[in-house]
Amino acid sequence: MAFLYDWITRDKKRKPLPPKDRSNLPFARLGFTFKEWHDSHINKHKWRNRRWAFLIFINVLFITSFAFDLSILEGSLSGSRLIGIYLMDPFNSAQELVISSRVGFLALLTTNFWIGFFVILTIYWLIGGGRAFCSWVCPYHFLAEMGEKVRAYFIKKKKVRDKIYDTTVKYVFWAGFLLLAFVTKELVFEDINPVGILSRSLIYGPGLALIWVVALLLFEIFGVKRFWCRYVCPIGTTYGIIGDLSPIGIKFELDKCGYCTDCQDVCLVPHELWFVKKGAATREVHFTGGDCTKCGLCVDVCYGEALSFGFKAPSYVLGKVEEKKELHPLEIPDDVTDKKQEK
Amino acid sequence: MAKTNSKIDRRQFLKAGVSAVVSLAVVGSAAYYFKDKSSLIEQGYLRPPGSRAEKDFLFSCIKCGLCVQICPVRAIKLADWDDGLSYGTPFIDPNVQACDFSCDAIQCAETCPTAAIDFQIFKEAGNKAVAPLFEKYPDGRFPKDINPFEVQITAMKRADKIGEAEIPNPEQCLAYNGHGYKGTLGHGNKGKLRPPGQTERVRIEETQVNREICDLCVIYCPLGEEAIELNKIEEGKFLPKVKDGCVGCGVCQMVCPTNPVSIIVKPVDKEPRFS
Repeated sequence: MAFLYDWITRDKKRKPLPPKDRSNLPFARLGFTFKEWHDSHINKHKWRNRRWAFLIFINVLFITSFAFDLSILEGSLSGSRLIGIYLMDPFNSAQELVISSRVGFLALLTTNFWIGFFVILTIYWLIGGGRAFCSWVCPYHFLAEMGEKVRAYFIKKKKVRDKIYDTTVKYVFWAGFLLLAFVTKELVFEDINPVGILSRSLIYGPGLALIWVVALLLFEIFGVKRFWCRYVCPIGTTYGIIGDLSPIGIKFELDKCGYCTDCQDVCLVPHELWFVKKGAATREVHFTGGDCTKCGLCVDVCYGEALSFGFKAPSYVLGKVEEKKELHPLEIPDDVTDKKQEK
Repeated sequence: MAKTNSKIDRRQFLKAGVSAVVSLAVVGSAAYYFKDKSSLIEQGYLRPPGSRAEKDFLFSCIKCGLCVQICPVRAIKLADWDDGLSYGTPFIDPNVQACDFSCDAIQCAETCPTAAIDFQIFKEAGNKAVAPLFEKYPDGRFPKDINPFEVQITAMKRADKIGEAEIPNPEQCLAYNGHGYKGTLGHGNKGKLRPPGQTERVRIEETQVNREICDLCVIYCPLGEEAIELNKIEEGKFLPKVKDGCVGCGVCQMVCPTNPVSIIVKPVDKEPRFS
């Protein structure tokens, strides 16, 4: 465990690179002040719109498969079948495996179960980049995102206050729910899993269990920001563990960064963007880790386009530090030029 | 930065960790509390054919709902929170829509990824039934009156007993009072079924029947004579008799025209093998 922790946090432990001079900051290189550069940016919402469209599309596929017998994506988010190929929720499967190995049920699980389990792990390792499930598929994430907007209103009115807690507590929940499954020999987590509840309610019709989802949502609005997703959800944690080893991530290029940290403000898991703070980066290129949901909000908000979706090079995964290269040539965005001319 | 905050981090983590453990303990004890209160079978609902014993079923079902989707008559529903740990597991309410075996291959069992609904028993029973036929006709050319598919399906239908029909109050039964029945099938419920010997499904609320003596539970039984027959008790008095061949599919309860229904399917629980 300690080895794994060291490996995951290897970049954080390295000696940070010296912070850039003012003259080397991207806005200075283009001949603007920080304010001009910052104010000129138009938030594009490119990735957010794509992501919402995809999330709604997937969930509509689930609904129509049952309602109109479309049979493309059958089942629910707990377990489904995409044109004949089974897909299994990884944490649900993990609980099932824990119980099965205890009571001797393991050999009776069908081949389809194993296919579904490994297909979903492969998809999210290779294409999804781990926790991409959360922001690109999970219907609860969508609701929570809307809840966050409501929360922002109450923050403005000074009715609630943001406080960030330690997110490592989610590993306690992760192990705890597996232990509960082992002890009680029941899929305990499935009874309170808002993802499954919401998915099933959407597909097979609403039920009493939705009360729990509404309660959670209200707590996220008036209590702790993104409580379930950040600190509890073991499904997300499972994907996060795969995500640490995923070849995909949000790529950060230090020389394009203007140290504004606006990306951390929009991020669901700001600790994954630890390297954007002035003097925190330990290498020229960083990738976000397993907790990153690849939602793309930071990519949309970044003024210097320092953040983008990217593939990790094998040398990066192995922890090799790249040599300092020449600075990226910067392009002046059209809107910035307009502003300067107006002045 | 990390160094100065490490002490606070640790304290905060311990705090959060303790509350996590406490909430997990609450959830766990709730699970223990509801464990014996979660049986849908005790409430008189049926599990889909091939389902494991209730105790085994609860841990092996992952609540995906694939069985709900595959059922052509939509007999299967998912339980809600008021059923405790049974939440999200499939059940059949034969009072509304029973399993009429019209999917032929027990598809809910076949589709189940965790074998909570066990397809093996149906597969084995079917194969066992057709094996002698293939031995007799190894070239696969069967005489016209033998349909191996039908033999297989019939054996599969018989393979698992999920319940047993019984008639708690004979006085309610139309046949017992010597009455016939004219009208639509069922007791005001909507549902679908494929009558034995036919190829198309019908809606029960649209199906008109006219029987001199009401024997709907007998003529619509997917397992036929081996499961139920109409017995003459005395002159003008009849009563359906449930036989050993009844598997508890619930069709008789679904089509019964009296309200409350005269024939009820009592679910049968199996011996738990794993817990």
